[in-house]
Amino acid sequence: MNDDQRKPAESSPLREQLVAYLDGELDAASSREIERRLAREPEVQQELQQLQQTWDLLDRLPQAEVNATFTRSTVEMIALAVEDDVRQLEAAPPRQQRRRRLLKAAGLLAAGACGFAAVRFCWPEPNRRLLQDLPVLEHLEAYRQTPDLEFLKRLNAEGLFSEEPSDES
Amino acid sequence: MAVSESSAQNYALSDPDVRLMLQVRDGSAAAFEELMVRYQVRLVTILEHLVGRCGQAEDLAQEVFLRVYRSRERYSPEAKFSTWLFTIANNVALNARRSKSRRREVNVEPADSSGLGGAPLDQMALAASGQMPARQLDKTEMRDVVRLAVGTLNERQRLAVLLSKFEEMSYADIAEAMEMSPQAVKSLLSRARENLRVVLEPYLQRGERPTASDP
Repeated sequence: MNDDQRKPAESSPLREQLVAYLDGELDAASSREIERRLAREPEVQQELQQLQQTWDLLDRLPQAEVNATFTRSTVEMIALAVEDDVRQLEAAPPRQQRRRRLLKAAGLLAAGACGFAAVRFCWPEPNRRLLQDLPVLEHLEAYRQTPDLEFLKRLNAEGLFSEEPSDES
Repeated sequence: MAVSESSAQNYALSDPDVRLMLQVRDGSAAAFEELMVRYQVRLVTILEHLVGRCGQAEDLAQEVFLRVYRSRERYSPEAKFSTWLFTIANNVALNARRSKSRRREVNVEPADSSGLGGAPLDQMALAASGQMPARQLDKTEMRDVVRLAVGTLNERQRLAVLLSKFEEMSYADIAEAMEMSPQAVKSLLSRARENLRVVLEPYLQRGERPTASDP
C-alpha cells in the first residue's frame, strides 16, 4: 500500500460534497451538480463508490448486548441516587430555616432601628416646648404681677428666663 | 437555550420520546423505564464503540440515565429526545475521558472477545502478516476489521460516525449533540469517512487487514 494513502485524511471540498450527497444532506442544486460530475468523471464516481462501500461495512459492527440485569441495576442505582437526593433535601431545611430565621430577625432589627430613627428625628417631641418654657413657668405668678410687657422683654434679654432652674425652686 | 412554546409543542407532537420524557417530568416512573428500554441498547452500543470497553460503557450509560432522571423537573423539549440524550452522553464520555487522563490511566484493549472487543490486536497483526493459513471472509473477521478501522478514528470523528450510522442523525442533530456547527460536522464526517476508506479499501481489494497504527 502506498504510504501516502495512510496519512490522516484532510477535508477537500469535493469529498465533503460527496459525503454530504451520500448522507442526503445536499440541497437540490448541489445534488444536481454532483450528479453531473459523477456522470462525466469516472474518478469521482470511483471515489463515491469507495466511500459508500466502506460506509456499508460499518453495518458489520455489532450491537451491544444489554441484559435484564443492566436494566434492573440501572433502575436500582437511580432509585438509590434519588433516595440520597431526598435525604439531602430533608436534611437541608433545618439549616436553611435557621438561616432564614436569622435573616428575618436581622431584617426586623433593621426595620426597628429605622423606625426609631424616623420617630426620633421627625416626630415633634411633646415635652420639648414645656422644657423650653420651664423657666417662665416657674416664675409665672411673679411675672403676672408685672403689667409691662416691655419690662419683661428686657428681663428676658438680660437672660433672666434662660437661667437653669435650681434644685431649690 | 431559550425555546419558544410553539417549537416545544412541535417536538412534543412529532417525537413520541419527547412525550414520554414529558410524562417523566410529570412524575411517571413507568415512562422513564419505557425510555430506558427503548434507548439502553443504542446508548450502550454507541458508548462501547466510543470507549472500547463493555463494562465502562455500561457504567457511562447508567450515568447518562441518572442525569436524564435528575434533570426531569427542568426538562423542556428543545430538540428531539435522542439528540438531547446523546448530548448528555457526549458530555458524560468527555468527563470520563478527562478524569481518565487526570489519572494517567493507560487504555488497554480487552484481551478477550467479550462485548464488542473482538479479536485482540496481536491476532490481527498476525493475520495481517500472512501467517494465518487462509484469509477467511467470515463475519467475525469482517467485524473485527471494521471495529479496528473505527478504532483508528479520533474520538470526535468516531462519535460523529456512530451517530450518523447507528442513530441516522442529521448533520444538524449531530452538531447539536456535539456542540459544533453543521458545517464543522460536514467536514468532520468527510475526514472520518476518508480515513475509513483509506483503512478499509486495501482490505476490500486485497485482503490487507488494518493495523492499530492506521490510518
